Amino acid sequence: MTALLSTNEVVVRFGVLQAVSQASIEVHAGRVTGLIGPNGAGKTTCFNVITGLQEPTSGKVLLEGVDITGKSPSKRARLGIARTFQKLEVFGSLSARENIMVAAEQRRAWDKSGFDPKKVTDEILEKVGIADVSEFMVGTLPTGTARLVELARALATNPRLLLLDEASSGLTEEETEEMAALLRRLVADDGLGILLVEHDMSFVMGICEFIYVLDFGRVIASGTPAEVQANPTVQAAYLGTESVEEAS
Amino acid sequence: MRLKFSPRLISAVIVALIVAFVVQSNWGSASVSGRTIATFLVVGIALGGVYAISAAGLVVTYATTGIFNFAQAAIGCFLAFCYWQLTVQWGLPTLVAIAITLLIIAPAIGIALDRVIMRRLRDAALVVQLMVTVGLMLTFMGITLTIWPPKAPRSVPHFFEGTKGVQIGDVIATWHRIITVAIALLVAVALRFLLYRTRLGISMRAVVDSRSLAGLTGAKSSVISGASWSLGCMTAGLAGILIAPETGLVVENLALVIVVAAAAAAIAQLKSLPMVFVGGLIIGLTEAFTSVFLNFGTDWNYAPQAIPCVILFVALLFLPQARLETGKVRLTKRTERLTKPWEAAVGGGVMIVLVGAWANGWIPWFSGTTFGERSAVWLGRGVGFMIVGLIMLSLVPLIGWAGQVSFANFAIAGVGAVLFSHFGGQNGSPIGILFVMLVCAPLGLLIALPALRLKGLYLALATLAFAEFTDKVIVRHPKMIDPSATGVLFKPLDIFGIHISSDAADRKAFVIFLVIAFALLFFMLELLRRSRWARRWIAMSDSPAASATIGINLTTTKMAVFMLSGAMAGFAGCMLGLSQGALRVDSFPMFIGLPLVLLLAVQGVRYPVAAFMGLIGLASFPALSEVMGNPSWLTQVSLIGPGLAAVAMAYRPEGAVFYTGRDLAGMLPWRADAREEKALLDQRTRDQDIGRDDINDLGLTRAFTREKVAQLDRRLSISDAVDEHPMVTSTGVAK
Ligand SMILES: Nc1ncnc2c1ncn2[C@@H]1O[C@H](COP(=O)(O)OP(=O)(O)OP(=O)(O)O)[C@@H](O)[C@H]1O
Ligand SMILES: [Mg+2]
Repeated sequence: MTALLSTNEVVVRFGVLQAVSQASIEVHAGRVTGLIGPNGAGKTTCFNVITGLQEPTSGKVLLEGVDITGKSPSKRARLGIARTFQKLEVFGSLSARENIMVAAEQRRAWDKSGFDPKKVTDEILEKVGIADVSEFMVGTLPTGTARLVELARALATNPRLLLLDEASSGLTEEETEEMAALLRRLVADDGLGILLVEHDMSFVMGICEFIYVLDFGRVIASGTPAEVQANPTVQAAYLGTESVEEAS
Repeated sequence: MRLKFSPRLISAVIVALIVAFVVQSNWGSASVSGRTIATFLVVGIALGGVYAISAAGLVVTYATTGIFNFAQAAIGCFLAFCYWQLTVQWGLPTLVAIAITLLIIAPAIGIALDRVIMRRLRDAALVVQLMVTVGLMLTFMGITLTIWPPKAPRSVPHFFEGTKGVQIGDVIATWHRIITVAIALLVAVALRFLLYRTRLGISMRAVVDSRSLAGLTGAKSSVISGASWSLGCMTAGLAGILIAPETGLVVENLALVIVVAAAAAAIAQLKSLPMVFVGGLIIGLTEAFTSVFLNFGTDWNYAPQAIPCVILFVALLFLPQARLETGKVRLTKRTERLTKPWEAAVGGGVMIVLVGAWANGWIPWFSGTTFGERSAVWLGRGVGFMIVGLIMLSLVPLIGWAGQVSFANFAIAGVGAVLFSHFGGQNGSPIGILFVMLVCAPLGLLIALPALRLKGLYLALATLAFAEFTDKVIVRHPKMIDPSATGVLFKPLDIFGIHISSDAADRKAFVIFLVIAFALLFFMLELLRRSRWARRWIAMSDSPAASATIGINLTTTKMAVFMLSGAMAGFAGCMLGLSQGALRVDSFPMFIGLPLVLLLAVQGVRYPVAAFMGLIGLASFPALSEVMGNPSWLTQVSLIGPGLAAVAMAYRPEGAVFYTGRDLAGMLPWRADAREEKALLDQRTRDQDIGRDDINDLGLTRAFTREKVAQLDRRLSISDAVDEHPMVTSTGVAK
């Protein structure tokens, strides 16, 4: 089976700094794949490469085996890639509902199934659990809620591949659990492929079926949560950083 | 390196061909001899040096504070006048006067600006940052005009005036020019040393992206931003003093150096100091070349003045595409709800009733009005205010929603007026208006085209350049406005049998026609705000990166809003032409575009109603003046006014309409929600102010390790090399 998404030896260089070094990862439909690593490991940069915000110095990005490396971010969205951002990129002066509407309306440009953006918006508001704040301007919402708005907006494009950058930061414990349940439903019911960057280790270990560990831009380990946790290289990488208490 | 047929190469060839054509067809009578070449070089290099100094100041302030200072040249102008006062009037020795001007007055201005205004702008929207400095520019021009009224011509002596200078071949390079070039080189070296070798300089560069870099800089931001602004003012003053002897001590000339400085800064991509000097030289040499070798004839008489604009425009074509930056989203502290259609309809109705009543003389306006009668003079002014309002309205979707700061709409309106005088206006045809709108829509787009792929600031610069180009080249051609034509160019417009024209008898109808058009457009915009178009524009402005990742094509989305705005400006332009009757070549000065945007921005760029409030504000000024018997101090207040607006904007970035609306709503007993909201937002503002000072605690005392300096060098914007991937932002480095 071809992977939904695979990156092929992606390299990103910023001047002398090699932010990503020959990272090859695969994301499959119908499961949550984790991408973890200490601060500055290159996770967000990987996301930027996959979504087209950052041109890789070398390497390829394939969606279902098709090379999409040169495509613009908006073309990739049409092909079914959606993402959230580590540092919020909400449309702060639109209401939560409008944030999602924009994405749903945009989807009509390529999805000719004749759906009603209003209805889709309402469904997604409900699904993500932010219907009660839908009329507030997102700029005034707390970070955790704004994160959910971002997730809802990503879902409104009806993606096949969903990239979540630090999905749970800013969420309360309760919200994190709801988020986990939602993600499980998305992969199980809708068959989405999810790639998750996360610092909350219990969240990652609980939800991911497969995990890649990035350090200094390199994939230093990959495998099931249990395998990764047992890997001495991973432990060493994490011990060198501040994230040690989170990784317990 | 392999040669590719990149768009850049193609544009380079096209530009080269056009230049060759212009040079060829306008070749003057000067022969190419050693003498003319030497003249061209001496003049060009000296000019280039001054431009470079001014541009270097711009770049330093921009790179270290993130704010592009439109007031740069106006401050330089003010300082040049100070210098004149000290030397010519009070007879101080040159060096003492220079020291007082550059080492005392300039830093004082810089520090004051930083304290009172600039520090609040660090996280402000681009339009607020720009409009504040535009306000300051107008203020410095106003202050200078007030203190030194332009009655008698003034001149600043050249350095060592009366001495002979140095003979180079057949040409004499005056000491003034030699000194100018020497100073430019000295400034280059000194800035370089300051920014790379001193701790203060390194901190200045580090503070740009304060949030992500605070940790590694050890920077005391208040000292640093004060230093940046002082440095900016000092270079501005230096450039002003050096250039004043050449241009004469005239406010407009000196303040216009900003266009030149902006062009040089754009060539340097607003960051590379060495390239600033290259840019300055390119412009200086081009101007000198033109004046020595070319002769544009009477038709294109003013074309040489547009050289910096053209160079700016061309430079934009060759800048590398901006990356879609992430992590720059500003979360507004604002809540608002959408205006409902019926509310917008009521609003439009109120406007019609108010202005209609005013035009009929039912609203008392100033002493001496008889009830039921409005003088033709005032009706004429009313027409003018309504047209200004229409132009402001055309800016709301463009600047307020799509976040594309443009100063060109007044110029587009000017082109519209000229077009209308040729197509339709001369026989009073309403179809002509449609035609002009159809032409002005793509015109708006054309201006934006080179800047679409660049970041917002460049668009503002491109539109400024276009406005100047329109003023100096387009409308000056006799085919556009015939200076020898006399009489009224326009036949009255016939709307259902009612005549609309600049004629005194038709003015009341004109005002009422305009307010109805205004109200309709207002209503249309309010409806548009609820549509998917406006949503997409706002989304694009709030986060370009996120918009792209949900599938929005940023280029076509921007194009749509430029066309809408251009068409609206075109309509206003037809009205402008009609109201002026006869067009004059100097009717459309570039500078008008600036206060126009400022006026709207002070009221709140996002709100269509702000255009109406802006025109009311504008109208009340002369009214007030008449009530008080035209006191002369009021004229001075009106010159300083933009500065007050600038300060107000720094403190009230969302615009008066927003705050007034909220406060008024809060007074209504049943609007507890508005009161709560205000309390909440005030609280957030306080929180943010606290956060702002966090990095002060780090202090300037900690030394930089070599590693940190290297890290900064990689990340920071002032760099030797002009690299393809600006690394100003970090993607989520801050935690
Ligand atoms: N635009 C850029 N210019 C220069 N360097 C950059 C840029 N973006 C990222 N970097 C650097 O690349 C490295 C990887 O950054 P990235 O944001 O991908 O890490 P990350 O794994 O997402 O870290 P975190 O857990 O902190 O989010 C970092 O050292 C960062 O400083
Ligand atoms: Mg990251």
